[in-house]
Amino acid sequence: MRIEIKDLHFTYPSGVQALRGISLTIESGEQVAIIGQNGAGKTTLARHLNGLLQPTSGEVRIGYWDTRRYSTAKLAARVGYVFQNPDEQLFSRDVHMEVAFGPKNLGYPKERVEALVSEALEMTDLLQKRETNPYDLSPTWRKMVAIASVIAMDTPIVIFDEPTTGQDAATIERIANVIRVLRERGKTILTITHDMDFCAENFERVIVMSQGQVLLDGKANDVLGQEEILATTYVEPPQLTRLGKRLGFKETVRNEEEFLTALQKRWRI
Amino acid sequence: MSLNRSFFVPIDSPLHRLNPLTKLTFVFAMIISAFLSVPDMAPALAVLVLLTGFIGKVQRQYRTVLLKLILPAILFMFVMQSVFLPGGETILIQVGRFDVARENVRAAFLTVSRVFVMVSSFAILLLTTHPSKLMADLTRRGLPPQLAYVIISTLQILPQMQAKAQTILSAQRSRGLDTESTFLKRVRAIVPLVGPLVFGSLVEVEERAIAIEARGFTSPRAKTFLYEVPDTRADRLIRWTLVIFTLLSLAARIWLS
Ligand SMILES: Nc1ncnc2c1ncn2[C@@H]1O[C@H](COP(=O)(O)OP(=O)(O)OP(=O)(O)O)[C@@H](O)[C@H]1O
Ligand SMILES: [Mg+2]
Repeated sequence: MRIEIKDLHFTYPSGVQALRGISLTIESGEQVAIIGQNGAGKTTLARHLNGLLQPTSGEVRIGYWDTRRYSTAKLAARVGYVFQNPDEQLFSRDVHMEVAFGPKNLGYPKERVEALVSEALEMTDLLQKRETNPYDLSPTWRKMVAIASVIAMDTPIVIFDEPTTGQDAATIERIANVIRVLRERGKTILTITHDMDFCAENFERVIVMSQGQVLLDGKANDVLGQEEILATTYVEPPQLTRLGKRLGFKETVRNEEEFLTALQKRWRI
Repeated sequence: MSLNRSFFVPIDSPLHRLNPLTKLTFVFAMIISAFLSVPDMAPALAVLVLLTGFIGKVQRQYRTVLLKLILPAILFMFVMQSVFLPGGETILIQVGRFDVARENVRAAFLTVSRVFVMVSSFAILLLTTHPSKLMADLTRRGLPPQLAYVIISTLQILPQMQAKAQTILSAQRSRGLDTESTFLKRVRAIVPLVGPLVFGSLVEVEERAIAIEARGFTSPRAKTFLYEVPDTRADRLIRWTLVIFTLLSLAARIWLS
């Protein structure tokens, strides 16, 4: 499902201008990473996509739906949003209830709810913990519950707000796997992240935000190559990309494969 | 979530600059006089409190509290008492099977004035006094810090619960719970909210207890204060005036009745 944002401005009641003119189109089935310094407005932007925040001016369309005309509850059928802070998202007594909450609200038949919940729990390795109270889990596992509870809704658009922060390598791999599976199903995925390796390895398109505006938007390799511009929003390209630059590679590389290919090319000459 | 949530409005105004104890004395002087002095005093004090609320530069917030919180409650009380109090001779009007008597309207007006003085003077205190300064000042004057902690958490609990309820509602709406359309749906939405709200608050209390303990809350050593809370000559003058006023209003009750 397509996301269209036109000249979006947003000011918090406290007077902070968090978004200052964002225009973006994200096509159905695209996987996009949004990066940028703390306070750039990434979370504020994400909260506009399911109507939790309403534009001060400009508009946001999800499919053909204008978010000003549809309630968050309605938009939830189209946009699943994994909150940055799982403590703000979880409220149920046990993991199973938490994960089933969304699909039940969307009115899916009982068997479908059960199937979706089981699948989500399996994808996030939570099957053993389905009876546990989310509050008894560690913050990293709570984040997994938050992810499971959103993917179980089977929405065409899924937004992850900093899914990998504070997670170990195994969990990051698990999250990358979730994103891979969702991609194969043709979902549109938006991921906000500060984890540059995660960004470089899993996303084809990267949007860089700074002070409520879009600074760069394009193919991952093109964006990650622009070291100077990225530095203005305190983003450092992945280590391999920087090493490739130092070695004088003509093309920008962002993962091991690309790095090795470029290196071999150089050696053969 | 910020721990400093409270009613406090962080600006500068004559009321803000007063010593917290002075404002606390004001609150109690008003309440004691309104409840214990001659009955006619309460409406006059209500006007006094109302005017005081407009001295600070918090009129806007004060008005919001007044209109959204105090006024509805008071109107409700007024109507209920006027209509449902039994007895009374001079019938003004009839509402269904109930007689509205002049005596009862008077009694209702009195009760309402008293409640107004109580709630409204507290609102002024909370709007113009940072909770930490209030407690720092009282602790310096000998209030046990444990008690200060209990009071301060109580002051903060309402706005905190409100913020938390808002957060949980956002989370539930994001997952398709319809909380906006009909009344029935709203009520249904509240049910799953109560559990997490109470449970979350309990978890928070425990976490906060651990956090303050880790920072030496129960250490037996003499403590210093982060806030210098000024106590001026004007403050002392106002406080004594208020104390004398309270004594006089009590005396009036004894002599006049
Ligand atoms: N509820 C709020 N009320 C007022 N201002 C807010 C609120 N939430 C965020 N802001 C402000 O809006 C700006 C953008 O914040 P936002 O949370 O969208 O940034 P972000 O890019 O998600 O940052 P981070 O990487 O730290 O998550 C910041 O200046 C922030 O202080
Ligand atoms: Mg954020």
